Amino acid sequence: MTIVVAYKYAANSQDASVAPDGHVDWSRAKEAVSEYDSVAIQFARHAAAAAGGDVVGVTVGGAAAGTPNARKGALARGLDRALVLADDATSGWNATATGSALAHLVERIDGVDCVMTGDASVDEGAQMIPALIAGHLGWPCFLEVRAIDRTADGWRLVQDHQGGTRTVDVAGHVVISVATDAVEAKSPGMKDILAAGKKPSEDVALAEVQPADVTWDVVGRAPAPTQARRRELFDGADAPAELAAALKTTGVL
Amino acid sequence: MSFHISEDQELLRDFVREFATSTLQPNAAAVDEKGEFAQIQYEALIEAGFAAPGIPEEYGGDGLDAVSAAIVIEEIARVCASSSIVLSSNKLGMTPLLHYGTEEQRQRYLPEVARGEALFGYALSESEAGSDPGGMTCRAQQDGGHYVLDGVKAWVTSAGVAKYFIVFANTDPEDPRHRISAFMVHADDPGVSYGAPEHKMGMRGSVTREMILDNCRIPADRLVGKRGHGLGLALGTLDHTRISIAAQAVGIAQGALDVAVGYVQERKQFDQPLAAFQGVQFMLADMAMRTEAARQMTYAAADRSIRKAGDLTFFGAAAKCLASDTAMAVTTDAVQLLGGMGYSKDFPVERMMRDAKVTQIYEGTNQIQRIVIARQLFTRGK
Repeated sequence: MTIVVAYKYAANSQDASVAPDGHVDWSRAKEAVSEYDSVAIQFARHAAAAAGGDVVGVTVGGAAAGTPNARKGALARGLDRALVLADDATSGWNATATGSALAHLVERIDGVDCVMTGDASVDEGAQMIPALIAGHLGWPCFLEVRAIDRTADGWRLVQDHQGGTRTVDVAGHVVISVATDAVEAKSPGMKDILAAGKKPSEDVALAEVQPADVTWDVVGRAPAPTQARRRELFDGADAPAELAAALKTTGVL
Repeated sequence: MSFHISEDQELLRDFVREFATSTLQPNAAAVDEKGEFAQIQYEALIEAGFAAPGIPEEYGGDGLDAVSAAIVIEEIARVCASSSIVLSSNKLGMTPLLHYGTEEQRQRYLPEVARGEALFGYALSESEAGSDPGGMTCRAQQDGGHYVLDGVKAWVTSAGVAKYFIVFANTDPEDPRHRISAFMVHADDPGVSYGAPEHKMGMRGSVTREMILDNCRIPADRLVGKRGHGLGLALGTLDHTRISIAAQAVGIAQGALDVAVGYVQERKQFDQPLAAFQGVQFMLADMAMRTEAARQMTYAAADRSIRKAGDLTFFGAAAKCLASDTAMAVTTDAVQLLGGMGYSKDFPVERMMRDAKVTQIYEGTNQIQRIVIARQLFTRGK
């Protein structure tokens, strides 16, 4: 059994700072495997350990994703091997092109039973990548999955759903995105770091995949509408009790 | 005479920093407050495989070179200096075995420490023999196939927690040149006990106690190195291990600098961030310059430890001295920059300042380091 994790090697959003005017400063952000993808790799590691199998990483990114340290950085987090498409030409790709290229990488791996992604993707958090990969592969897709078990003919998933969870049995292959808190992403230890340099990774050239040729542009943006505030002030000795009562009335508590 | 930090070492730094920040940093203040051996940090270090960097692969270790090991210690000390003592303590134990021990001794002890099943301690000082270890009075008398040790060692790091100790004692008190020998003493050897934990200013997550040896009978094959060559072994060991203290000091300085840089950009006075004041910028620039200079000196010394270079004694002492003086100065300035908040336990810089102090004292005071450095100036050219 093989589980594939689609990961991205990009500027770490934790290192970005937001100015009071809303401008996001990425200048001090270091490139790394994204935090959510680290969760997905750990989740895949658990699933592979339970069902018996290996975990293969696939990534599509700029040339930086193909550097030795980028590969080791991903492999140290729990991948057994990796397929890497690293080309600066991908920097202009939209989610559709990236999703199709990732699907092509998955198709190059024998015996894949499940594809996992982190919770957010290069599509500004729209969570489209897993669905796009699934669409290209013709597999079912489930988002916000927090538990997974191998069954006789497929998988049993526990998925966040409408404020709670639902359990789904699915036959055959599946693409999932992993809930951000499904497992704790463990920092690689010394053994993981040393082993990473000995794990195989394969380069895939841009010409070897056929990304979907779909173009679109973002032609405008508007801020979210400001919600009306009640601006209710509580004062005096009874203020704490009044505040609590108001919060209960509005459903906050 | 040159070295550079490789991409692998930079990656190692990133990962150790990630581990230290996510796992050790959250407990650092509590560990300091509690003032006991930081078991929680120790277990985390073992689980991550960072407790004993530098043990060769043939003994089950990670095989890290001295520069890489210094990076690991530095990154751990950056968030929790007490935790980094586990690493420097293990370095003190493994170095005599690697450089002076028998193959049998290396096979006996190093794999266990590499697996995280044992911690090393180092018992050199005595109450009347600190900077002058040659003045020690602890005796080791041979009795057939055994040695019997009697005496009290002082300032023994990890006493009561460590499983194995390198202990120095007089075997030949009448011999002016070869009086002292080194032994491997087990915590469960008969006649081994400990004094009360010392109440320390800093490094409070590391335990320091007296080690009492009362008719402690150990097999003669626990002698490490040649009989009577213990002082040379101790000093030769310190040439290598002072680099650990230098790395620890660099980490403490960097941790304090990072907190200060963040704070001055947030804190506003006179309607502008403190960072906008040139006087504050000058302080930060000096802190950064000193820290980076100490780091480079530490790595240069570690590089010489790898190559067993002839000037290692000079570089080991100079790195330890420069880095620890830097740590003290930088942490003091960090407290100053944070003002009242720096003086409170709400921020970690006061802890870092307390932790930094001992790096100027242990493994040879900085006054002793300067003597070592000066002697090297007189002899290196000959």
